[in-house]
Amino acid sequence: MDERNLQSNREFKTHRSPVLSDSDNSMLNGVRIHGKEEDKMVGKPLRVVHYLNQFFGGIGGEDKAHAEPQMKMGPIGPGKAVQGAFGDQGKVVATIICGDNYFAERIEDATTEVMNLIKSQQPDVVIAGPAFDAGRYGIACGAVCKRAQSQLGIPAVTGMFVENPGVDLFRKDVYIIETENSARRMSDVISKMVNIACRLVAKEKIGKPSLEGYFARGYLRNEVSDRIGAERVVSMLLAKLRGEPFQSEVPPPKYDRVKPASGLKDLHAATIALVTDGGLVPKGNPDRIQAREATRFGSYSFKDTDGLNPDDYEVNHVGYSPVFVLQDPHRLVPVDVMLDLEKEGIIGKLHKKFYSTAGAVCVVENIRKMGQAIAKELKEEGVSGVILTST
Amino acid sequence: MEIQMRLQLDILNIKDVQFGDRTRITEGVLYINRQELQEFLKEDKRLSGVDVELAHPGEKCRIIQASDVAEPRAKTKGGVDFPGALGKQGTVGQGNTCVLRGTAVVVSECRREGDPPMQPGFPRHGRIIDMSGPGAELSIYGKTHNIVVVPRPANEISVQEYRIALKIAELKAAVYLAKAGKDLEPDEIEVYELPAPSKIGKGLEHLPKVAYIFQFIPGQFETIPGYPVLYGSNASSIVPTLLHPNEILDGAMVTPYRTMAIDVFGLQNHSMIKELYQRHGKDLCFAGVIITVGQGDERENERAAIMSANLAKWVLGADGVVLTKSGGGIPEVPLALTAQRCEELGVKTSLAITHYPADVGDADGSILFNAPEVDAIVSLGTPWNPITLPPVERIIGEPAAFPEGPPVDGPIETTFRWMKGIFSQIGNSRLIAVRY
Repeated sequence: MDERNLQSNREFKTHRSPVLSDSDNSMLNGVRIHGKEEDKMVGKPLRVVHYLNQFFGGIGGEDKAHAEPQMKMGPIGPGKAVQGAFGDQGKVVATIICGDNYFAERIEDATTEVMNLIKSQQPDVVIAGPAFDAGRYGIACGAVCKRAQSQLGIPAVTGMFVENPGVDLFRKDVYIIETENSARRMSDVISKMVNIACRLVAKEKIGKPSLEGYFARGYLRNEVSDRIGAERVVSMLLAKLRGEPFQSEVPPPKYDRVKPASGLKDLHAATIALVTDGGLVPKGNPDRIQAREATRFGSYSFKDTDGLNPDDYEVNHVGYSPVFVLQDPHRLVPVDVMLDLEKEGIIGKLHKKFYSTAGAVCVVENIRKMGQAIAKELKEEGVSGVILTST
Repeated sequence: MEIQMRLQLDILNIKDVQFGDRTRITEGVLYINRQELQEFLKEDKRLSGVDVELAHPGEKCRIIQASDVAEPRAKTKGGVDFPGALGKQGTVGQGNTCVLRGTAVVVSECRREGDPPMQPGFPRHGRIIDMSGPGAELSIYGKTHNIVVVPRPANEISVQEYRIALKIAELKAAVYLAKAGKDLEPDEIEVYELPAPSKIGKGLEHLPKVAYIFQFIPGQFETIPGYPVLYGSNASSIVPTLLHPNEILDGAMVTPYRTMAIDVFGLQNHSMIKELYQRHGKDLCFAGVIITVGQGDERENERAAIMSANLAKWVLGADGVVLTKSGGGIPEVPLALTAQRCEELGVKTSLAITHYPADVGDADGSILFNAPEVDAIVSLGTPWNPITLPPVERIIGEPAAFPEGPPVDGPIETTFRWMKGIFSQIGNSRLIAVRY
C-alpha cells in the first residue's frame, strides 16, 4: 500500500521508522531478516534476484518502455557485474525486467507483479538498477526494494543520482548508493551496492552515509564521541575563526520552498479562514488530535454570534504553556477580531469553521500532508485566504 | 584589593555517604544526621514533611520524579550561599567554596492531581535516576552518592509555591551538607580567575577572543512568579546582560523549574565555562559570558538578539561566540536569531544543541532554523533515544497517581528525555546524534 496516499479519515501517518539499536542493525522497517538464515548463509551462496528496466535488460529503448514484467534466468547486462561483485558469495539466479512506463503508470500493481516474480525465486537478497538519473527507473527500483524488504524480509539495495526523484521518495526505507548522473562508474556502484547487501545479510552494522556512499536515511542515532560537547563546540569555533575547514555535526535542514499564492485582489469579496497549529480543540478533543507528533487535524464550527467560549475549548499541545489561550481562545484563534472585520466589510466573509492541529514535535512529512489536505478542503469550501496562527 | 574575581573551589572527594549521629565528614565519608536535616528543611511552612534518603552507585535503586540536582557546596570564609534564593543578597564567585565531590542532592517532587504540565504522556515516574544498569552507566548521577530529598507539599499551598519550596529545599540541603567540610583540608583545589574585559588581553592579544552566550531560561514554559533564578530574581523577562562566569559557577544562578537537561549541578560544573577557562591563554582568550532569556515573541527575540550581539561585539570585543540554549524546540529560534545577528556584525558563531526531531526517523526535521551563516553546529544528541531500564528493588520518590501505568519498580521502556544526567544542553556530555 502506498503510504503516501491521503487517507479519508484525516489520518496522515507516514510509515514510522523503527528505532535502531546498536546491537540489532538488521531491523529494517520493523522486519527482522530471517533469524535462522544466517546458518544457511555460511558456505552456501546467496540467491540474488536483479531488477532492471527495459534498456539495461536489453529488450529495447523508449520504444519498449511499456514492456510488462518478465523474468529471465541468470544475470543480464549489468547483472554480470553484480554476479562478479558477489563472486562465490552469491548467485544471480534470475533477472526481472520491466518497462519504465509500464511501471510508472501503475506503480502499486507493477510492484506486486514484479514481487510475484521475485518471490518465485526465493531470493536472499534483491539488487535493483542502479538507476542513475533515470526518474521512472529510480522510482521502480525504490518501490521494488521497499516491497522486497517489507514483504520478504530480505535486504534490497539500489543506486541513484542525487536528483533522481526516487531518492527522496525511498531513501528512508531503502539503502540507495549515490551515483553520478551517468552509467560511467557502473561497476564501482555495483560493488558498493553488493557490499552493503552482503553486510545486511550478515547483520553487520552499516557505517555512516558519507563513509559508505549511500543517501542518509534520516535516522538519528546517539553515539558517544571521544570529547564532550563543550570541547567540540569551542574547537569548531576556533577552526571557523582560523578559516580552517570544519564539519558541522548537524547538517542544515531541507525544507520545501513553497511559492506563495498571489495576493488577494479583492479582500472585500473574499472568504477568509482561520487555521492554527496551537492545538485548540473542543473540550474532550473529539478527534483525538495528538499533543505531539500529530497525525490528525480537525475543523470546528462556531456561531458568528458567539465567537469562541473558553468553556467549550481546551488546548492539546506539549510545546507551550496554554494558560492564556485557555482563558480566552481568541488569543490563539482570533474569531472575535475577524467577525468585526466581516461586519465592517473589510473582508467578505469569515469562514465559520476553524482548522486546528498541534504543531509540536511533528514529523515534517505528516504536517505537510495535513497542510495539503486542509488547503484542499478550504478551496472546495470557497475559501480564498487563510490566516495561520501559531505559538 | 583584588584585581580580578578569583574563585577557589576547595574540593573534598567523598567516598561514601551514610546516616550518623552527627553531620560530619571523617576520612572521606559524609555522615548525615538525618533527623536534623529533615527538621531543618521542614522549617519551610510550605512543606508538610520532608524525607531524606540515600542512594548509592551500584544499588538496585531508582529515584523517580527527580526534579533537579545540586552539588553540595557552601561558601567558607565569607560570602553568601545562593544569594537572593536563600535569603540574603550578596556576592559570589570569589573567595572559597567547599565542594563535596562525588555526592549530589537530588530533589524529588510529589506531584498531585491537576499539577501542570498537563501534557499527555508525562509518565508517572517523571524523571529517573537509576543507580545501576544502563541508566546508571550513561548518567553522571549514577556515579554520585545521592542524597535524595523528598519534600511533601502542605495542604493549602499552590503548585507554584510548592515548586519554589522544592528548589529552596534542594539548595538548603546542598549548603547544609557542604558546611560539614568547611574546616577540613581540601583534597584538591580548583581556581577560577578571569579579569574584567578591559584588563583581559594583556599579553593575549594574538589569541582569538571568544565569548559565551548562555540562554539560561528558555521562555517556552510558564514562569513561576517569585521563583529564584538569578540572584533570587525570577528574571524571566530580562534583556541580555553580562555576568562574570564565576557567578554562574558559584550560585548566583539557579535553574528555573523547567529547563530540560540543565540542573543546578550542571550550572555549578558548567562545562562550557570550564572549557573556555581551560583554554584561556592557550588557544583563545575567554572574553566573557552574556546571559539571555528565550522569549516566545518575535519582537522580544529580535531585541534580545541585537542586544546580545552588541554586547558580544562592542562591549566584550569578541571575535567569536559559542551559544547554547535550554528548553525544547522553540528556543532554537531566539538562539539562531542571536547567532545570525552576531554573524552580521562579523562575530563568528558556533552552536551546541540537542535535537528534537519528531522521532529518531525524522532527522531532516531536527532543527528549526536554516541560516546559511549559522553553519557550525555541534550535536549534543537526541533525547528520544530509547532505553530499557531493568526492574529495581527500591524506589525513592512518589510515583504520580496518574496516568495509570506499570509499577515504577518494574522494567521501564523509556527514552533519554526522562532520565537525568544523560544528556546536557550545556555540553557536559559526549553524546552526539549521528545521521544515518
